[in-house]
Amino acid sequence: MERIEHFEYFIGPQHPGVTGNMSYHLWARGDEIVKIVSSVGYLHRGFEKLMEYRFWIQNVPMVPRICVPEPDVNEILYAMGVERLAGLEVPERAQYIRVLVLELARLSAYLFYFAGVAGALGLYTIPQWAIGDRDYILDLFEELTGGRVYHIFITPGGVRRDLPPGFKEKVRKVLKHLKDRLSDYDRLYFDNALFIKRTKGVAVMTKEYALEMGVTGPNLRATGFRYDVRRGDPYLVYPKLEFDIPVTGGGDNYSRVMQRRLEFEESIRIIEQVLDMMPEGPVITKLPNPFRWKIEKNDVYVRVESSKGEFGYYVVSDGSEKPRRIHVRGPSYTHGIQVAQEMAVGLRIADVPVFLFSMDVCPPDIER
Amino acid sequence: MNGEMEILEKVKKAFGEKAETAPKWERQSEIKVPLELLHPLLGYLRAQGFGHLAMISCVDWIEEGEFELVYHLWSYEKRLHLLVKTRIDRENPTVETIIPIFRIAETYERELHEMFGIDFPGNPNLTPLFLEDWDGSPPMRRDFDTRKYVEEKYGMIDLTKELWKREEPVLEGENGED
Amino acid sequence: MGTGLKNLLNPLDAVKYLFKKPHTIRLPYEPKVIANRYRGIHVNDWDLCVGCGNCARICTCQAITMVPVEGIEPKPGSTNLRPKVDYGKCSFCGQCVDVCPTGSLKLSKNFNLISTNREDYVFIPSKEWDSGPGTGWESDLEYSILNFERVEMPERPPEERRKDFEPVILGFSREQAVVEGMRCLGCALCMDGCPTRMFIPQYIEAITDGDYEKSLKIFYVNNPLPEICGTVCTHRCEDACVYSRRGQPVQIRYLKGFGASRIDDRAKVLGTKVGTKKGRVAVIGAGPAGFTVSYYLRREGFDVTIFEALSVPGGMMKVGIPRYRLSQKILDREIGFITSLGVEIKYNTRIGRDIKLSQLLKEFDAVFLGVGFHRGIKMGIPGEDGEGVMQAVDFLRKVNLGEEVKIGKRILVVGGGDVAMDATRTPLRLGAEEVILSYRRREVDMPASEEEIKEAKEEGVVFMTQTLPIEVLRDANGKVTGVKYVRTRMEDQGPGRRPKPVPIMEETFIFEVDTVIEAIGQTPDYSLMEKEIREKLTFDKSGKRVVVDENGMTSVEGLFAGGDIVNYRGDIISAVADAVKAAKGIARYLAGK
Repeated sequence: MERIEHFEYFIGPQHPGVTGNMSYHLWARGDEIVKIVSSVGYLHRGFEKLMEYRFWIQNVPMVPRICVPEPDVNEILYAMGVERLAGLEVPERAQYIRVLVLELARLSAYLFYFAGVAGALGLYTIPQWAIGDRDYILDLFEELTGGRVYHIFITPGGVRRDLPPGFKEKVRKVLKHLKDRLSDYDRLYFDNALFIKRTKGVAVMTKEYALEMGVTGPNLRATGFRYDVRRGDPYLVYPKLEFDIPVTGGGDNYSRVMQRRLEFEESIRIIEQVLDMMPEGPVITKLPNPFRWKIEKNDVYVRVESSKGEFGYYVVSDGSEKPRRIHVRGPSYTHGIQVAQEMAVGLRIADVPVFLFSMDVCPPDIER
Repeated sequence: MNGEMEILEKVKKAFGEKAETAPKWERQSEIKVPLELLHPLLGYLRAQGFGHLAMISCVDWIEEGEFELVYHLWSYEKRLHLLVKTRIDRENPTVETIIPIFRIAETYERELHEMFGIDFPGNPNLTPLFLEDWDGSPPMRRDFDTRKYVEEKYGMIDLTKELWKREEPVLEGENGED
Repeated sequence: MGTGLKNLLNPLDAVKYLFKKPHTIRLPYEPKVIANRYRGIHVNDWDLCVGCGNCARICTCQAITMVPVEGIEPKPGSTNLRPKVDYGKCSFCGQCVDVCPTGSLKLSKNFNLISTNREDYVFIPSKEWDSGPGTGWESDLEYSILNFERVEMPERPPEERRKDFEPVILGFSREQAVVEGMRCLGCALCMDGCPTRMFIPQYIEAITDGDYEKSLKIFYVNNPLPEICGTVCTHRCEDACVYSRRGQPVQIRYLKGFGASRIDDRAKVLGTKVGTKKGRVAVIGAGPAGFTVSYYLRREGFDVTIFEALSVPGGMMKVGIPRYRLSQKILDREIGFITSLGVEIKYNTRIGRDIKLSQLLKEFDAVFLGVGFHRGIKMGIPGEDGEGVMQAVDFLRKVNLGEEVKIGKRILVVGGGDVAMDATRTPLRLGAEEVILSYRRREVDMPASEEEIKEAKEEGVVFMTQTLPIEVLRDANGKVTGVKYVRTRMEDQGPGRRPKPVPIMEETFIFEVDTVIEAIGQTPDYSLMEKEIREKLTFDKSGKRVVVDENGMTSVEGLFAGGDIVNYRGDIISAVADAVKAAKGIARYLAGK
């Protein structure tokens, strides 16, 4: 009789344990993973190549599609890259509106994340709550930008429209609702014995390992390293805003979730300040003719803090109407492929989706 | 800004004139080196605290027959981004892997191998990453025409024919008169 | 945090929501309130849309194509194309709206397009899905990607420029020209406005790129007088420019002037090589039409002789347009290049007096007639004949030729066209103390160009609109002492027609002036040709203009015509257009001979 060494399992490409289409090939001995290979390619849309064929301004509607749960970071990165290269000044009001959009997007991405982890754990009430609450933020986006998921709102030079009348009040109302809900989430979710039992001490990442593997953002902070792009390489008006960089420090699934839970509150704090501090004025600078806009030969790397970590764009211009090269660094690029492959070894099968979700692996930004 | 000049001067001292250094943007500088200095330089910078390799970019300067590799390094302590650039021959693109210096480079090099056809000797895992059963030339090279490939491989209705085109002048000398 | 009993009981707290109102959509179904700015289905106002195709060009997804729509007539500045959207590709980004120069396109709040028929998702947007004004993603000048404001042309201050005949406009600097030229979207609607269909987007592109040689080559494809047109053209192209719908058009004229002025030596760029075709062509009149036809025929290799009644070249460009609008330097440069190709000019040769037209028709293989309108029309009021009353064309000709003209201190100019403006501004430069312009309609009805009216006012010309002179008053010595006039009122003639001025005869007023210049229109002088030829010619309804066929040939074989005596527009660019047509026609005619 042939002896079976291990079982092979497949997660994905259509598995709720991964946000988007991506698959993991698992080898398990009993309940324990001995080998895991990530397999990407289901979502490769070739955006970087397509951008090289288009005018600078034409790429604005394309970039948000690089990351589905939090598209706005792509818009801001593309806009910042082009603005740097072209030497454009952004009006201050536009910068505040950008921060508002970015932080609202972060809130909605975190709610999505909470839903995902809870779904992977089998706590199905939480996804329903979180997705429901996220919808309030999408309603705000619809009001402000005209789109719910892909906003296509931040453009080189500023933002495409000013705030609609009464918008600030609506934001405040939603923020208040979210703050009230947070205690409900605490009781049902973050203080839930089931959640704690399943996540604490599972898939521990050390600070050294995270730094070596280029893990960034909340996952890095969850290992105890205090660093945030908004403070470390500041952009927009973040230096004028008061917020803390919380650090949990356990490096396990639990810390990664709690890390986001703490940052959720900080984002609410930022938005409240933005609403108070936003000056009056124009929201966009005049751009050159969209069909003939040439940008001098130069290159720049821009980065922002997204809900998953450091999102970066390397924008190269060769002096023509079209970009020479735009290279996107998705935060999941590091922890979705190599780190996941190394860290999932030794986990139980049931913990793999929880681990992947706690790392917030997002295939769209891996593949572009 | 001071820390920035300091590291650039250190690099100049250690690697001589062959390393061209220049501050570029706020908290961002570039270092251009020939290929043979790349690995020592990356090792040196890593030891200097540039521990975060954000990504490796490649730009195809097809007119000059070269690929430009850009290693994006960030130092958490110095809060400085370095664009370490090196040019390689487009015809025979080969760069020794940097996995011994930055482990995470494995995935980055895998992508470059797939998208630009650059070989990284020493990288154990240069298997296809995003593309499946790929039979064209590396797609991110400038001479790869997406539309042509799609038309040849899958057949596509060319809608651009319907697009409106403006009238162009025939200049003297263009029609062979001059 | 440990896991104690508290952690186990905590989740039970969620039970309280069992009795709360759900925050999902409730039953019975309540429709969702759509945000005002929602980017839904495309709406296009066909009346505003000009079919420029900018929406199709900006579309990242190539979802928009321009298709001809039946029932829409193309006209200058507006094509019969309208955008067609493919919702299999559209990403509802709204950039087509932000780039729409006319503001006709918008994305409405409506989004429920449901159909089992896939063709329904590819359609030509009209007002069908409109959700009403103020809703949806609308075009807004404040947030538009386009720049609707032009770069103002620098001018000399009125106090300074009214003293001499130096040019009023100073010309663009390189930076200004680039900024202005970069506004051009390249949609080529302007080409429909230009009588000779110059390749406007292409030369603007070349100018902004700094490639003046290329721009010069593009000018000369169908206009050998680019710098003259770049200074004094009636710029119908600018009226057709998409920017003129909601803002200021690109200043195509001045950009052309700027581009042409960059290169002094035309021959160096364009060469002086001529073709090998054989044939002799006589051109009557050394004006814009005459020079254009000469240039293109000479380039082909034909021998061209121009017969000019005056002693100088240029025709109306020289004797009609004052030097402060078109400098002698520009004239010399453009005309000099054409003559340098080997075009012979016989000055002081008036047809009918010095040589007969029939003789020319016999001696030459083809004759081109481009004589223009050089005779002023009289008002036909008492006291008009005699000293102190003159025709604007005669007055301007004398001034431009440097002849002495006797004018008084207080001058009345009658008329409202460009000639009238020239006739008001020239006396100021000759030392007149006061110039009054009398026009029988309102200022908005004036056929003169806007900037000429503006500049004349700046220089101090007094506009007396809705006045009609009825008699020139003279004293015992026959000297003009004033003009008796009445006021008029405007009578509506129905939609689309110019209101008619009706004189109010009850009350008369008097302008106290010593000189009257009449500028109410010009007419051709056909006395130059023999009666037999004149009888064979076909004239249009007005009896002033000659009818020509698509080759520019009149009903007399071998006699071609162009310029003011053919087209009703009466400007340089139309003369050029006629002449380009005639040059091709003559070449064809001679090839078949």
